[in-house]
Amino acid sequence: MKNIIEINNLHKVYTGGTHALKGINLNVKEGEFCILLGLSGSGKTTLLRCLNRLIEPTSGKIQIDGEDIIAAKGQKLRLIRRKIGMIFQQFNLIKNMSSLTNVLTGKLGYTSLLNSLAFSKNKKDVEIALENLQRVGLKDFDENKIKNLSGGQQQRVAIARTLMQKPKVILADEPVASLDPATADSVMKYLGELNKNDKITIICSLHFLSLARKYGTRVVGLKDGEIVFDGTPREIDKKRFKEIYGEDAEEVEIR
Amino acid sequence: MKKKNMLKLNLQAILTDLLIWIYITGCISFLLNRWFNVAIPGLHIVIYGVVVSVIVMTCGISIGRKVFLPTKRTNNKWYKTFWGWSIVLILLITFIVGWILVEVNPYKFFTKFKNAGGIMSGIFDPNLDLLIVSLTALAETIYLALLATIFAIPFAFLLSFFAARNLMPKTLIGNTVYIIIRTFATVFRSIEAIVWAIIFSVWVGIGPFAGMLALMIHSIAALTKLYSEQIENIDSGPVEAIKATGANTLQIWVFGVVPQIISPFLAFTIYRWDINVRMATIVGFVGGGGIGLLLLQQQQLLRWHNVGMIIWLIAAVVWIMDMVSAKVREKLQGM
Ligand SMILES: Nc1ncnc2c1ncn2[C@@H]1O[C@H](COP(=O)(O)OP(=O)(O)O)[C@@H](O)[C@H]1O
Ligand SMILES: [Mg+2]
Repeated sequence: MKNIIEINNLHKVYTGGTHALKGINLNVKEGEFCILLGLSGSGKTTLLRCLNRLIEPTSGKIQIDGEDIIAAKGQKLRLIRRKIGMIFQQFNLIKNMSSLTNVLTGKLGYTSLLNSLAFSKNKKDVEIALENLQRVGLKDFDENKIKNLSGGQQQRVAIARTLMQKPKVILADEPVASLDPATADSVMKYLGELNKNDKITIICSLHFLSLARKYGTRVVGLKDGEIVFDGTPREIDKKRFKEIYGEDAEEVEIR
Repeated sequence: MKKKNMLKLNLQAILTDLLIWIYITGCISFLLNRWFNVAIPGLHIVIYGVVVSVIVMTCGISIGRKVFLPTKRTNNKWYKTFWGWSIVLILLITFIVGWILVEVNPYKFFTKFKNAGGIMSGIFDPNLDLLIVSLTALAETIYLALLATIFAIPFAFLLSFFAARNLMPKTLIGNTVYIIIRTFATVFRSIEAIVWAIIFSVWVGIGPFAGMLALMIHSIAALTKLYSEQIENIDSGPVEAIKATGANTLQIWVFGVVPQIISPFLAFTIYRWDINVRMATIVGFVGGGGIGLLLLQQQQLLRWHNVGMIIWLIAAVVWIMDMVSAKVREKLQGM
């Protein structure tokens, strides 16, 4: 399998002086479900957001599907972003709009401004949007306003929105951190399915090792902006766990 | 960096003391002039002020020092300190000067009530024959306020995006556009609508059109500020999510920003119309037409019963607008 993401010596220094990423080298193969583990502040969010340039990296190289996203500007950058879906901890949907409208915004990268203004009237897009809502188990929820949905339902709408992009890669930044354990698992299940059936590469930061073991094909441990572990979920034993999370940490079982 | 900061604080302290003491000597010479006919040249006032503040500063007992520079914490009660008494002096002298300048005269207030008999009887016995004429003028006022608001909306809406810190890129062009529009809004808003009305009543002639233009200019500036502050308060999450889909800047604004601001924008706009109706009355006084102009004419003709009629109508409209706009805004909150 070829590398779909290649990260070379990536650094990020924030304006305040925080050195959040200290020379990350990471290649992700097509079809992997790569879990990022690490304490709060270890740099997971920074890394994910550098990948689609929501944050400007300070130095280093990033190739997505063979294209240099760091050098890309304007239209070129938008075309690369189109291939990268993103799922956020806070869902980041527009709360006073319907699920359908929110899902349709996933298609914006494919349309001009004028066409997108009328896009709730585009039969084909609406059809695909409804299909995607059905895929995440939200058939008949298309007219519901986001603010009337539960957290788990909102995250599923966000997944449906991402699907509109026909992404090759999905970046998920703690997608289940604000959900209860049972809901968290059901949301992860949809990501797992996209990975298996649609062959979408997924990079997902998580807090729970149990979920990492269940869904991940690979685990990357971050600590203070550096990669301290890279292997399969099964390889994470007590010793490795303490390397990532520090000496005092104990694994808490969440199912 | 520390040193630079100290220099700045010292400068602020010195400036504060200078201003305070020049102000105090200025006030004292004004009082001397009023009470004893002593004329003190302006230059002397400044010199005395400077001299006093230099003395006070070198003794290390000044207000500026107390406010801006770190001082040893002492347990002295304020009335045992120099700066405490300086503040008492400032307040006292300001009050006395104010009393004289404003020509406060409680005696007149309590003894000359009968002068207002005309207007009082007018209010309690309004001339109903003027109802039709007043209502016409009132309609003029309400509509001119409405048009001023409607015409201001598209301008303010567009400008507000460029006056929102979070939407403008932190590049030279972005910053320049932001600063220019913000400055425009601040300056135009600080010029009262009544001043604009004077300008436009000369420009397009006395009448409601002049009043509308005046309110429109003022509303554009005020709404631009309110709108852009609203944009700065939106949740950046959805905006980023839409950016991440590969949308371009305009699409991000239309789909990420606009849905979040529609209902607060409507609320502000209705609130603005409410304000504009009140202002339209005042603006009428200086040539902006409508009920204000009618009121001015009747007042100058001393037709107190007509004035009474007009006052009742204005009060009713302001009261109704206030209620309606509060209700609508309350509804919008839930959206
Ligand atoms: N916008 C920012 N400005 C300055 N420092 C930041 C910013 N975002 C994150 N950081 C810092 O960068 C480091 C990594 O943060 P982050 O990537 O959010 O970690 P994680 O997602 O693993 O919790 C932390 O020390 C954090 O304080
Ligand atoms: Mg994070």
